[in-house]
Amino acid sequence: MSQHNLKTVVGFEFLRTVTKKRFWLATLAIPVAVVIAFALIVISNETTSTTASNQKNAQLTFTFSDDSGLVTDAVATVFGGTRTTDPERAIADVKSGAADAYFAYPANPATQPVRVYGTDRGIFENGTYDAVARAVLVAGAQKKIDSPQLTAVAAGNVTVTSQSYKDGKVSGGINAVIPPMLFLLIFYVAIIMLGNQMLSSTLEEKENRVTEMILTTMNPTTLIVGKVISLFLVGLVQMLTFALPVIVGYLFFRSNLNLPDVDLSHLTLEPGPMIVGTLLLLGGFILFTGTLVAIGAVVPTVKEAGVFFAPLMLVIFIPFYIVSLIVSDPHALIVQVFTYFPYSAPVTAMLRNSFGSLSPTESAVVIAELFILGFAALRLAVRLFRYGSISYSKKLSLRDALTRRRAPRAVRDAPHDG
Amino acid sequence: MNQGDAVEEPLVHIDGFRMDFGDQSVIRDLSFDVREGETFGFLGSNGCGKTTTLRALLGIYQPTAGTLHIRGKVFEPRDGARLGYLPEERGLYKKESVLDVMVYFGRLKGLSRPDATAWSRTYLDRVALADKAATRLDKLSGGQQQKIQLGVTIMNDPELLILDEPTQGFDPVNRRLLMDIIEEQKRAGATVIMVTHQMDEVERLCDRVILLKDGVAEAYGTVEDVQNSYGGPVIRLQHSGPLPASDLYDVTAAQHDYTELTPRAGTDEADILRDLVGHGVLVRSFTTARTSLEEIFLRVYGDQSEQVGA
Repeated sequence: MSQHNLKTVVGFEFLRTVTKKRFWLATLAIPVAVVIAFALIVISNETTSTTASNQKNAQLTFTFSDDSGLVTDAVATVFGGTRTTDPERAIADVKSGAADAYFAYPANPATQPVRVYGTDRGIFENGTYDAVARAVLVAGAQKKIDSPQLTAVAAGNVTVTSQSYKDGKVSGGINAVIPPMLFLLIFYVAIIMLGNQMLSSTLEEKENRVTEMILTTMNPTTLIVGKVISLFLVGLVQMLTFALPVIVGYLFFRSNLNLPDVDLSHLTLEPGPMIVGTLLLLGGFILFTGTLVAIGAVVPTVKEAGVFFAPLMLVIFIPFYIVSLIVSDPHALIVQVFTYFPYSAPVTAMLRNSFGSLSPTESAVVIAELFILGFAALRLAVRLFRYGSISYSKKLSLRDALTRRRAPRAVRDAPHDG
Repeated sequence: MNQGDAVEEPLVHIDGFRMDFGDQSVIRDLSFDVREGETFGFLGSNGCGKTTTLRALLGIYQPTAGTLHIRGKVFEPRDGARLGYLPEERGLYKKESVLDVMVYFGRLKGLSRPDATAWSRTYLDRVALADKAATRLDKLSGGQQQKIQLGVTIMNDPELLILDEPTQGFDPVNRRLLMDIIEEQKRAGATVIMVTHQMDEVERLCDRVILLKDGVAEAYGTVEDVQNSYGGPVIRLQHSGPLPASDLYDVTAAQHDYTELTPRAGTDEADILRDLVGHGVLVRSFTTARTSLEEIFLRVYGDQSEQVGA
């Protein structure tokens, strides 16, 4: 393969994609949407926080009755409440607007509802009654317990750290699952974002009638490999563009977004699963790329390519329908089938690799399968492009393409007799 | 093939070429050579297999049988052969700018980026498209796109130029420009194989031709040889008085004082003129003309409808 031509193809294909306005409109649409979503979340969180605080601290003039014995007059007075012994009168006052609200605490608030009556203040402001009624009850209960420690424990405000062991060693737990799971995420993003471009990459040559010029100027393998590399680079650009607002959001607006403070130093990078994950990602990428490019070489238009594209995309999502089975019983027959069926293998094997249920032997078999079939698909794609892309307006017969064998070298290169 | 052909190795050598598509045999048994530096006309009716032959020569199709060599080998793009091919089904990357596409193909043909850029700008200037360098190809007219296509074809001074119906889509002015460019390439030493239905262009440019019919060569040789094989020169005579009977010629057409004569084998036109004058015929004009390729084409393919497979 000519190194010079490969570089030329990669440069041309990459630059003509990333210098298009359409590319940046499509690529930036997602980060812009993410930024807008983040902004809405921040605004919403601040509003909610303010509203909750306002509601909690709101001073109401209310009356109450208490059969539980939890709410004392002292506690209620702090919130603006006055005990009543005539619930019907209290309700009538609310109806007439003479009082803001009346709270009826039952004998057992754990099983019986607290009844709240209030004058209408609008959908959002009406929430104040509920918030104040709860706050009064909680304050009364805390007063009854009279212990900050018991109060915190009763509220579930405790921290738990856990340690598990595997083969006598401390296992990574969820911190060991996350890193190899990232390969699955990258695989999905790459295939979903680049799938259509893979499919249509050689269609352009066909639709524009460029094929014959190309086939007589360079080896088709160079073109296909160059296109795949450029697609990969385009994918990297897109992923970085997508990731940037997320990283910025996490680093600088974490508290505003209510995102958990993940300590990355706790993540466990186990060499085995990381290497297997990398190889599964690469093998899966090559297999899907080769297949999609081959489909593009067979069909005459983008529209017809869609018929093949949809089922292929479906196959990579199907394993998620049995994800609980993959996690709980990785040796079930259906999981085994999904592990070895080429087009569901990357996702299933990456899931199992993350959860530590993919044995070294299974890993080796799946990786070998993906790479062998991936390169076979790429070779097939080159062959189909070579013989299919000059069938400009009709679908290539696979039988025709696959049975067109080159004449034996001895015959092709035999010296002529002049 | 003449005996002398074996002395110099031809640039293109096709021997016993056969091409089947399914049950249909498009080319049955075709053999010919194209010599270094010559302009070769590849003629035939639509669908007779000309494009198929070119595609097989360039490795786009795999031949069913036979040898198709360029410089003694099956063509592979990686061989670095300086080849310019203008296919019948042609197009370029329509959504890219003219200059980007030209530079891309220039780079694929082995030029450096600065050389490819400089060459492209010079060419665009030559074909009056200098102001379109940054324009997307799909914004150009069909004729302008054809010019760009030709430019891409002749980049890096090809030693073999294969043109499949090059004048398709050109108006007369641009056709003349195209022919000038082809002649320049020829003068620069390029070997040219040209598929065309413009017989006047063949007569003007081609050294040798092949006529393809029903998958085999109907005629093959120099233009003159082919013309002679379909009847020698015709004498067109304006005269007064009756013509004498003679064994030097046959009368093929006669009307008042105009007669067409076909010289018999071995007879020179000068002998006929002397004979006429000797018999007292008053000759007002005496011109010789060969059977045109147009006439030959009509004679060979006149009864043929389009075939499948080209």
